[in-house]
Formats: sequence, structure tokens, C-alpha cells
Amino acid sequence: MRHISRKIILISIALALVMVPGTVGFITTHAGAFSSLDQADQVTNRAELDQIRILLSQPESKEKDATASVILPRPEKDPCLHCHISGENKNLWTPFIRWSIFSGVGLVFAYGLYRSTSTWRTRAPWKPIPKRAAEWIDDRYQISEPLSRALKKPVPKFALHWWYCLGGITAFLFLVQGVTGIMLAFYYKPTPEAAYASIQYIETQVRFGSAIRMIHHWGSNGMIVMCIAHMLRVFIMGAYKSPRELNWVSGVLLLALTLAFGFTGYLLPWDQRAYWATTVGTEIAGSIPGIGNLALVFLRVGWDVGALTLSRFYSLHVLVIPLATVILMLAHFLMVRRQGVARPL
Amino acid sequence: MAETPHTSEKDAIPFYPDHVRTEFRVTVGITIVLLLIGMIGLFSPVGLGQPADPMDTPAHIKPEWYFLALYQLLKYIDKTVGATLPVIAIGLLALWPFLDRKPDRRTKAKRSRLIAVSIAIVVLIVMTIWGEVS
Repeated sequence: MRHISRKIILISIALALVMVPGTVGFITTHAGAFSSLDQADQVTNRAELDQIRILLSQPESKEKDATASVILPRPEKDPCLHCHISGENKNLWTPFIRWSIFSGVGLVFAYGLYRSTSTWRTRAPWKPIPKRAAEWIDDRYQISEPLSRALKKPVPKFALHWWYCLGGITAFLFLVQGVTGIMLAFYYKPTPEAAYASIQYIETQVRFGSAIRMIHHWGSNGMIVMCIAHMLRVFIMGAYKSPRELNWVSGVLLLALTLAFGFTGYLLPWDQRAYWATTVGTEIAGSIPGIGNLALVFLRVGWDVGALTLSRFYSLHVLVIPLATVILMLAHFLMVRRQGVARPL
Repeated sequence: MAETPHTSEKDAIPFYPDHVRTEFRVTVGITIVLLLIGMIGLFSPVGLGQPADPMDTPAHIKPEWYFLALYQLLKYIDKTVGATLPVIAIGLLALWPFLDRKPDRRTKAKRSRLIAVSIAIVVLIVMTIWGEVS
């Protein structure tokens, strides 16, 4: 009997907690929405008439053209979601924000309810949710022990000079290049007809497009500088010596890949500079004795720089070289991790 | 040279959180620099030259700065040699640990490598600047 009454009390509290904000939210949102619909017809009609009248009086003005395109269709005839997101209410109190606020408040209520009931029921102190999640995962995959061993691995104090940062900076710049490169790839079109125009579109129309391109441009230069600086540091300190030979080899390959990134990326804007730099560059590759012609044809996909060269350089730049770089970088890091930082003399 | 991969606790700091915190600060610094560069990009973008035209060879063709030294070298030496040289150089660089197998005993080796690198860097910078202005 006592249990049943406790459950009833709990359920009623839960219902009240969910229903009260829910009802308030429903009334506030829908009252506003429906009341605006009653007057919508007349108001939009009048607005439309006004716009048409202005348009007829001054047909050549461009500003009026811009306002004319702003005329919204009637709410019930609007085919897009415009009015549901920012249409009928111009202020902060749009339907999307209403839903966000009420569902957020509802989640907070649900969390509090769950927390109070579970503490009451189990008579035990509350265990935070991240801790529960960690335990849940650790129960299944036993991850915490190796993870903590990896995280607790000591870093020698001699490796705390600034010049030990250079390799890490290169890796970080590679990540930045990846992110900004993906952003640019959303808008870039790798064909001779569209490439130049799409870069112009990125620089003039896309929001923050010119900033993203600037970061990608200077990030690539910075990555090459940091890569070379890291290599010089390793060379001067003699950190390439046994037992770290393979780490040096993978590093040299990564430098070559970074230069290949620069070389393939340089063609993509498809302006005169890019086109002729690639023509000359592939020509140099073509004069290697023995495999010269093979290299030339592989790079240009034919005897001239053209549409196929562009798409080959694009796929090399965004697919092949990044994949190879990621694999080599993982190998590079794992070897450093395994062997530790070389002790300087 | 047989080193122990694990250092003792005394002359080391834990990777997490001490070292991760330092690295996080470095990445934040670089992010700020990159955001500043991006802000400059909003006002003066990287820009584009004339659209590519296979029929019209411009008077001065220049590669990116990191190929300028090689480009300048190619003006004065035979093309075949100039194309083979970087391939051999990269191969030699990659195989360097197998050629230089003697473990360092004194700091003298380090100093001589420093001098060699400095000379190489000065030559490269001079070639790059020469390629840029010529």
C-alpha cells in the first residue's frame, strides 16, 4: 500500500513537472501563431500591393528590386521552412528558439526528477552521469587501464625546450589544413571551366570564405617551414641515429608529401600563375632520365596540362596525399611513443 | 646506442595533465595567429591572377617559394642533372641514418652538423632570394 502511494505521488509530480511547462509553452507558442494568421491575409495583401505600387512607379531602380524579392508568400502557402524558422516573428522569440528553450527546460526537469527519485529509491549518494558513462564503457571494453598507462607516460624534462614543439606544430597545422581544406572543398569545383569562378565565389560570396582561404594558404606555407625546421632540429641533435632510423625515413617521406601537397594545391586556382608553374614543374619532372616521360604523363595525364591534370591533382591533393600523410604520421608518432624522445648530448 | 625507453620519475613530468597543458597552450597560440591571418584575409584576400590560358605564356613564370631555389639552379645547369639532383638529394636524405651510423660521443659532431646545416640554409636562402628578384 505504501509503495503504491509513493508511486502515485511520484507519477503525479512527474506529470505536473512535465505538463505545466508544456502547457504554458503550447499556449504561448500557438496563441501567437494562430492570432497572427488571422490578420496575415490582409496585412500581406496590403504589403504586396504597396510593393507593386512602388515597383510600377519606379521600375528602373535596383533597390526597389531588392525589396520586391523580399515579399513573403502567405504563411499557409509558403512552401519553404522560412516562416517556421524566422518568418512570422522577427525578434528572438521565433518558433525554433521557443522549442529549444522549452525542450531544454524540459530536459533539466527530467534530469532533476531522475536524480531525486534515484537518490530516494537507492538511498545512496548520487553518482555523476559522466562517471556512470565511463564505468559503463569500461565494463564492456576495459579501456581505462591502458588509457591511463598511456596518459601517465613520463615526458623527460630535457624535452621541454621550445624546439621540441616544431613537429607537434607541424601536425597541428596539418589538422588545420584538413579542416579549412574540407571547408574550401564544399565550394570548389575541379574543372577548368568552373575552378577559377568557384575560387572567386569563395572569396567574394561565401561567408568568411576569403578568411578560410587565407588560413589555408598561409597554413600550407607554415607547415612547410615547420616541417623543415623540425627536420633540421632532429638532424643537428643527431636524433636520427640508431635506433631511430625508420622514424627519420618516415619523416623525410612526410616532408616529400608536404611538398607534394604544395605542388598539387598550387594548380587548383587555375589562374595563369598556377597553370604555368605546373607546366614548368611537370616539365622538370619530365627531364629525369629514364622515367621522365612516364612521370610527365602520370602527372599531366597526357602531354599537356588540361582538365584531366586538374582533376588528377585535385584527387591527389584531397584524397591520396592526405591518406598517405595520416598513415605515415601515425607510424611516426607510434615510433616516437615507443622509443621516447632522443636524449641530447 | 642502447637507451632505456622509460625514463625515471625524477627527471620527468607526467604526459597528462602537465605536458598536455603545455601543448594545449601552444595550439591556442597558433590558433590565435591563424585567426589573425584569417581576419587579414577578410580585408585583403589571397586573390587570383588572370584565368589560365594555354595559348598565352606569361613572361615571368615562378613556382612557389619552396621550389624557387631549385628553379634558380635549373637556369644555370643542365636540365637532366637539375631534375635528377633533387631526387638523389631526397633519397640520400632518407637514407642518411644508414650512412652515418657512428653514435655521437662528443658535442663536436653536433657542432659540425650545425655548421653544415647553417651553410646549406644560407645557400638555400640566397638561391631563393635570387630566384625571387631575378
